[in-house]
Amino acid sequence: MNQRIFIAAALILVFCGSALPQTGVKKKRPLPYEYGRVIIDNYSHKANLAPVVFEHWIHRSMFTCRVCHVDVGFGMKAGATGITAADNARGYYCGTCHNGTRVVDGKIVFQACSRKANMEEEKRCVRCHSYGQKATSDFDFFKFSEPLPKERFGNGLDWEKSEELGLIKPANFLEGVSTSKGNAFVVQKDFTLDPKVEGMPDIIFSHKKHTVWNGCELCHPDIFMGVKRGTVKFSMVDISLGKSCGACHTTVAFPLTDCQRCHSKPVQP
Amino acid sequence: MFFATKFMAKMITAVLFLGLVGLCSVRAMGALQSSAAQANPAQQTWRKEFNEVCSKTQAAMTFSQEELTDLILRCDALLPQIEKLDESQKKVYMGRLRMCRGLYAYVLDAKRNAKK
Repeated sequence: MNQRIFIAAALILVFCGSALPQTGVKKKRPLPYEYGRVIIDNYSHKANLAPVVFEHWIHRSMFTCRVCHVDVGFGMKAGATGITAADNARGYYCGTCHNGTRVVDGKIVFQACSRKANMEEEKRCVRCHSYGQKATSDFDFFKFSEPLPKERFGNGLDWEKSEELGLIKPANFLEGVSTSKGNAFVVQKDFTLDPKVEGMPDIIFSHKKHTVWNGCELCHPDIFMGVKRGTVKFSMVDISLGKSCGACHTTVAFPLTDCQRCHSKPVQP
Repeated sequence: MFFATKFMAKMITAVLFLGLVGLCSVRAMGALQSSAAQANPAQQTWRKEFNEVCSKTQAAMTFSQEELTDLILRCDALLPQIEKLDESQKKVYMGRLRMCRGLYAYVLDAKRNAKK
């Protein structure tokens, strides 16, 4: 009798054990104002500060990706840059703009990490070190997004069209930091990629669209290193893991759920 | 007499300690103020060359193999100068130089492959 109970218990354990890894954890879809948010906690906790909450939507409305990820030098993966308070105080990374003197959109950008540490300074820390804190922002996503053309996923906005309509004007040059204005890229023509799945529309890839905001060196060779077309095989699994297109299209740019924005070539009957 | 000598010894220790603290503070402030050193003309030579070399990335596709090779060599020549910079500057410019050089090498590779 005892032996039967033991075998039954063992079988239940084995079944449960094999079922668990398959269940996984369902990722919560971020809300429009959360999409692109990066929590930076390289050293914050060690310094008894809350982690930094970085909102991509605020910054991408003012600057192209290239300005921050090439000229200022922010990495493409959260935590990879290893920003320190000293870097910011010396005028690098966040401190490139957040230095209390640079003017963006007619406003002086508040200083990031400073060398002093009095009560008044500490209040300012919470403007960035706001994770889990009651902090008020100068920027309201809903007010900002109201006049902009809408899309279904990500931030729920069509950023490209917003720029076309002149509703946002992301700067592509930062005085004293950028090496060029980056507005005359010489690139390949648009080309199609075969998705290898029957019925799935071809992907139309536009170098022109991508270089406007990214430049060349943001993608090549770090993200896309194959020089001969067709030598690197892309898969949706890899992309969803953040490789190739997924470096931006799972984090900040419109997400993978918006299939037809890439698979956009009409299927021939 | 004994107490006077002991008092003097304590005073000397205190003065030495304060001096050490002062020296460390000055050094620390100096390190933080290195952004001001960016304006130093001697340090600007590398920056001028960096700007000149890396401002051409947008036209990388138009360069010949010889021009690309020359740009890569100029990037390589900048590396030892950037390695000497302070921690923050080094971190930023090493990354920027890597991206810039990487692109020229990538385009050169593509052009060589296209010729084959």
